[in-house]
Amino acid sequence: MKRTKLVSILSMVLVFAIFTAGCATGAKNGGGASNNEFRVNLSTEPPTLDPAQATDQVSFTVINAIYEGLTILDENGDVQPGIAEKWDVSEDGKTYTFKIRSDAKWSNGDPVTAHDFEFSWKRALDPLLVPEPSQYAYQLYYIEGAEAYNTGEGSVDDVAVKAEDDHTLVVTLVAPTIYFESLLSTAIYFPVHQSVKENEAFAAAANTMITNGPFTMTDWKRNTSITLEPSDSYYGRDQIKFSKVSFTMVNDSSSELNMYETGKLDYAGHPTGSLPSDQFASLQQKYPDEFKIKGTASLYYYLINTTEPPFTNKKVRQALSLAVNRNDLTEKVTLGGQIPAYGLVPPGIKGVEDEYRNEVNGDYFKEDLELAKQLLAEGLAEEGLTQLPAFSITFNTNDLHLKVAEAIVDMWRNNLGIDVQIGNEEWGVFLDNRNAMNYQVARAGWGADYNDPISFISLFTSKSGNNNTGYANAEYDELVERINHTSEPEERVKLIADAEKLLIESHSIIPLYYYTNVYLMKPEVKGVYVDFKGDIIFTRGYYEEQEQ
Amino acid sequence: MSEQTLKPEQFAKLKKSEHAGELVVRESISAWKDAWIRLKENKLAMLSLVVLLVITLLAITAQYMTPYDYKTNDLANTNLPPNSEHWFGTDSLGRDMFQRTWMGAGISLQVGLYAALVDLALGVIIGGIMGYYGGRVDEVLNRFCEVMYSIPSMLLVILLIVVMEPSMFTIVLALSITGWINMAWIVRGQVMQLKNQEYVLAARTIGASTSRIMFKHLIPNAMGPIIVTLTMTVPSAIFAEAFLSFLGLGVQSPAASLGTLINDALKAMTVYPWRMLFPAVLISLTMLCFNIFGDGLRDALDPKMKK
Repeated sequence: MKRTKLVSILSMVLVFAIFTAGCATGAKNGGGASNNEFRVNLSTEPPTLDPAQATDQVSFTVINAIYEGLTILDENGDVQPGIAEKWDVSEDGKTYTFKIRSDAKWSNGDPVTAHDFEFSWKRALDPLLVPEPSQYAYQLYYIEGAEAYNTGEGSVDDVAVKAEDDHTLVVTLVAPTIYFESLLSTAIYFPVHQSVKENEAFAAAANTMITNGPFTMTDWKRNTSITLEPSDSYYGRDQIKFSKVSFTMVNDSSSELNMYETGKLDYAGHPTGSLPSDQFASLQQKYPDEFKIKGTASLYYYLINTTEPPFTNKKVRQALSLAVNRNDLTEKVTLGGQIPAYGLVPPGIKGVEDEYRNEVNGDYFKEDLELAKQLLAEGLAEEGLTQLPAFSITFNTNDLHLKVAEAIVDMWRNNLGIDVQIGNEEWGVFLDNRNAMNYQVARAGWGADYNDPISFISLFTSKSGNNNTGYANAEYDELVERINHTSEPEERVKLIADAEKLLIESHSIIPLYYYTNVYLMKPEVKGVYVDFKGDIIFTRGYYEEQEQ
Repeated sequence: MSEQTLKPEQFAKLKKSEHAGELVVRESISAWKDAWIRLKENKLAMLSLVVLLVITLLAITAQYMTPYDYKTNDLANTNLPPNSEHWFGTDSLGRDMFQRTWMGAGISLQVGLYAALVDLALGVIIGGIMGYYGGRVDEVLNRFCEVMYSIPSMLLVILLIVVMEPSMFTIVLALSITGWINMAWIVRGQVMQLKNQEYVLAARTIGASTSRIMFKHLIPNAMGPIIVTLTMTVPSAIFAEAFLSFLGLGVQSPAASLGTLINDALKAMTVYPWRMLFPAVLISLTMLCFNIFGDGLRDALDPKMKK
């Protein structure tokens, strides 16, 4: 009896403590503005902060703030000088000569030199890179000799990137590549300090990371928070207004919203966090100035493991894809104004003159329940099966992914009469399993790395480290090769459309919808935006009050 | 000393109704019946029992009461408030909350029940062995229990669920992997106390086997504390399951337990409060009733409480 009393007293104290804590944070509302701190939710621990190893949005969000490449992109997606202050392109469009800024410095005060870039790119291409070869290395294949070195057939000395002196970098490409300059603003082209040779685990802790971007990492509490502060050695230090950027790691949309509403976050929602989709409508009413929906060039899709029977059979895969009602999915389930996807390349990506999606019709297939049923029956018969073996949809733990999976499982049950399990995994575990092809159907999302359809098309070549479907088609690889060697825009777009058609009609992936970013941002925050790729860019952000 | 004599007139014939007036022996009733009588006097405990029975009954029969099922989506009717069609409203995928809530109650009760049964089986056997044999056997088993007990149980549970596929079996296994220890200790204490009683000695003298002594003499006499512990295990297992579901480690969708339903509803608590209300009320009610009923049972089964 005594114990029960103690417990009840304790719980009352606890309830009271929570209540008062709630009040205290309520009073601190808007605290971010007063000390110029910008607070965002990252949802999970970034799997890596090594620019050569990163493949996911969470990692990129942090890496983009602490490193800077030769170029940067502005809000419109146009290329601006970054660490390179200017560059020349040879007449055949294949040789670039970059002039490195003389005031570019590492966070430890060392100058950033052309040698650093040469070293970093060759490091990213190293087939023996520790802990594993870069999955993004194929993005460097535009450089002459890069592919041969990365695949172990060539020598590192034949990679055509050379530092002439400390401030001059010469790069020779395999073929003229119109988007090469914007490619340079992505993580795989970021420099790393040459000291990483001695310490391959440099990206594992705040105090061993030497970076060259606008911010440096001052604190990293595992699974809890990351703190960035402006880098004093950054050449554009006076343009950086935030005194601090704090990332929290809360993987729950309602908690995130709660934190935003109690003033613990200045930005909540996509791309690195999420808001509860059930509340989109009411949030829009409640915060008309803060609630934003922005279309981004990203695709939400399901991967099918094409190496595992019966998914080796195209008809089975096609049946799964045709039995999903994408309109219902976007209008009734995800609720964020997403666009149903029947192709690979999202709207917002440049084609010849207009957006690619406006120039090339992206409806490569139509949903058809009768056909889906028939295809499933035929496919199973070809595989010598009478019914589909049990399989599951795997996704990383997230409310929205769960809701989408639940809706699709129900569509498959109603339309095809099959029972599918669903299972969620923590982000890092999920990525490992997906890379190891340890799944049947897995959720995936892909955002543009640069403003060109090839950013999506090159994903599914047999040598792409981010392919993950087992799809390997020599014809497709050859098409991509031809695209990379074609500089005539119209012909190039035609080849891209051919490749896209080939991939989508193989039904190795189930395209679901083109993303929108739904987020809340405090109205006094300026200069923070979501770019065309769907990345959050905050390096030049500031609070309005400060300007008055 | 004068002698007193009794005279016949000093005696009066007793009225028939007063025949039994001096009989102080009460009716012979078994210990169980005795406990039942005392339990019946505890109004609150009886009310709890009735509520629990109603919840159990509804958890079984609710699926036949409305034409909906727990897993079919109805995207045209999402987030409906309670109405004559959907008595508890619908969730964000248009699934009927009445069906889901009662299914959740059923799963939660099952988890509680199975966890309690596993605890009972393991706890009684191991506790019985510890208490009866004593000595080195007791030493070794007791140290083992203490080591198991010193590991934070939630950590162990989460670890197990991460390694194994999340399912009801895994949850029950995870909850009972440390859950039986309490039961074992209670049985051990009881058996140690009872094994020195004369009737055990008598049984041993006439050659009763160890298992007969254990199951015919010791365990039945320790039944009171065992049952009370059991009624307390059920709600704590239900709560542990709700907590695991709340962390996303519980039963996997589209199946639902009360914990997962509350977790789902939490995201829209301010907008669609009814999605939270029914499962939350139900889980609170279940826990409360089990606790009150367990309390009542303890009072009823404790011989020292006999008036």
